[in-house]
Amino acid sequence: MDLAPRQRQRLTGYLFVAPVALFLAAVVIVPLGSAVWTSLLRVRGLRSSFVGVANYATVLADETFWHGLARSAAFTASSVLLHVALGLALALLLAELRTARTALRIAFLTPWMVAPAVGATVWLWLLEPQFGVVNYLAQSAGLIGSPKAWLGEPLSAFASVVAVDVWRGVPFVMLLMLAGLQTVPQEQYEAAALDGANAWQRFRYVTWPNLRYLVVVATTLDVINTVRHYDIIGVMTGGGPASATEVLPVLLYNTAFRGNRFGEAAAIGVLLLAIVLALVVVYIRITRIDRDAGDAR
Amino acid sequence: MNVRIAGATRLALSLAVAAALCSGAARAADPIVLQWQTANLTESQYEPIWKKTIAEFEAANPGIKVEPVLVARKDHWTKFVAAAQAKQAPCIVSVDLTTAAYNGYLLSLDKFWNAEPASFRSAWNPDILTAAKWKGQLYGLPIWGGTYGEIYNRDLVVKAGLDPAHPPKNFDEYIAWGRKLTGDDHWAMAVLGGKTDTTTRVLLTWIWANGGEAFNADMTEATFAKNPKSLAAIKTYLGFARKGGIAAPAPTTTNYLEQTNLFAQQKIATMRNAYWSVAKVVGDNPALKGKLFATSNPANVPDAPTLATVTASSISASCKYPEAAWKFIKFDADRKWSIERAVVANWMPMRNDIADAPEIKADPMLAQFVAMGAHARSYPLPHPAWAEIAANDIVDAVQKALLDPDKTDQIFRELDAKVTKKLNDI
Repeated sequence: MDLAPRQRQRLTGYLFVAPVALFLAAVVIVPLGSAVWTSLLRVRGLRSSFVGVANYATVLADETFWHGLARSAAFTASSVLLHVALGLALALLLAELRTARTALRIAFLTPWMVAPAVGATVWLWLLEPQFGVVNYLAQSAGLIGSPKAWLGEPLSAFASVVAVDVWRGVPFVMLLMLAGLQTVPQEQYEAAALDGANAWQRFRYVTWPNLRYLVVVATTLDVINTVRHYDIIGVMTGGGPASATEVLPVLLYNTAFRGNRFGEAAAIGVLLLAIVLALVVVYIRITRIDRDAGDAR
Repeated sequence: MNVRIAGATRLALSLAVAAALCSGAARAADPIVLQWQTANLTESQYEPIWKKTIAEFEAANPGIKVEPVLVARKDHWTKFVAAAQAKQAPCIVSVDLTTAAYNGYLLSLDKFWNAEPASFRSAWNPDILTAAKWKGQLYGLPIWGGTYGEIYNRDLVVKAGLDPAHPPKNFDEYIAWGRKLTGDDHWAMAVLGGKTDTTTRVLLTWIWANGGEAFNADMTEATFAKNPKSLAAIKTYLGFARKGGIAAPAPTTTNYLEQTNLFAQQKIATMRNAYWSVAKVVGDNPALKGKLFATSNPANVPDAPTLATVTASSISASCKYPEAAWKFIKFDADRKWSIERAVVANWMPMRNDIADAPEIKADPMLAQFVAMGAHARSYPLPHPAWAEIAANDIVDAVQKALLDPDKTDQIFRELDAKVTKKLNDI
């Protein structure tokens, strides 16, 4: 078979892409298709029957879903805000340091290197009401009078899981910001110094304009990552107490594996996917706008 | 060229045949591996027994290996469901039998059971076997159980100026004792509100002790709030956790593990639990050996039932070696292991032919729990949705009521509506 050079080139390209496409189909498209199909079934153990969009109707009519969505929004907003603020602050601090910078970078990165479930289990014991170290330290410092059940009350449980997620999530943002800081032209700082700018002015008029795009990208990526977060909350509270920390991924897990309602759980999963996809679209738009702006420049 | 190709082909074929023979021989020599998952394998008082059971079984059955699957209690059910959905569940499991059988996760044991001689089958009372059946078919062999009673620390009782010979008989007396047993850094008891079905077990004992019912007779309606005696019992029990009450703090994160830890550390003086908790507590704090005593649950009505769990060994539907699995279940259910489990791990035997065993008779507390069992209802309750209702819905309501006690009526009315819907949606 004779092929034109252009066709041959295209075919070769497809052949090179084929293994990756097959791999992606196996690990993304097939499970995704399976999840969508499951969301259209009434599943009871190993038996199932087609029910159309009934699971979606059930989920959307259930206040538990909306509660989970609200919890997800609150968890994501709090965590991402703190990730970005603290990540940026730490990056600025580390960039200024002249000694022990590498050691501190490694130290700050450690929580990110620990498996989330392992970190969550460690925190579970640190926050244990009777024998936990956090209560011991807080009592010793006179911050609390009697041992506190950090994970036993809605507000403190929510704050605790956010705190642990921040402990784990900050290093990633810090790393991105540190990389971003390396790209800020040194001449701009020198010019600002010559103009007599103080530290805040240097940040406001030199660092921030150079990092702004990166902050937006990091925030969007972090939102996408946090909104589908399961492990820390799953291990620490399982969504309790009284559903105070039951974000959508935890609700999904509880519906599937505790409630044995896989169809409804799959519907929650598909709705969660839709939320994440919407965020991905936002991310793509942001990066495209910047690319277009770059081209125009 | 052709000769070379033919030679190469012959060589390749010979190698393939040799490899196939070798792998076949290896496969024939490979033992059958049975995975075994129960919620209790991680408990230290049981560990020496199950290790011995496996070792002796494997010695007696050289072609079979038993591989224990160690899973934390709170993850036991979810891990099983995930594996069962993937048709990769461990062969031998002890799970919420009705829910698992309804969902098609278990194999009916009728074939194996009916093939056994009458002498074997007669070791189980028909009532006990009923708890292991779903739609008339046997799905598990009852291995052990646990009757719930009130267990006290004698030293703490005496120290509080109370008489261990006259323990509380009703709620009012229990509260009076509770006040005396509570101090600045110690409490009478712990209210269980953690996210496992142990929370539900203890709640049911309080409801029944007040003459209430959590469900109607055919389990089509929940009556936690509808039945005034049930609601009164719930309010009394959860009220212990109010500020200034008699219960240890942090009830929404307290479960079997936390409760027994508090008891072992003498932070609480009494616990509502099964006999096995005594072995766990003494294992944690050997100084408590011989210093504990048990009584029936304080009750406001005569002959109030308590709760007795029935743990049965089942074969999962995806098990490739059901005959070998049944062989192990039979071995594990043997009289010898039943006695050892009762004596070492404090698990109540389910066989009816060991009551007269000297080892059993020598343990007065065990005898006491056996006596309490005469007025016990078996648990889990027989409904396909029970696993979810017990570990999710009821626990969620308990947590909400603990956090907002003034809304207890409303919370349990909502629970009644939610659970009734689930009971009828199968």
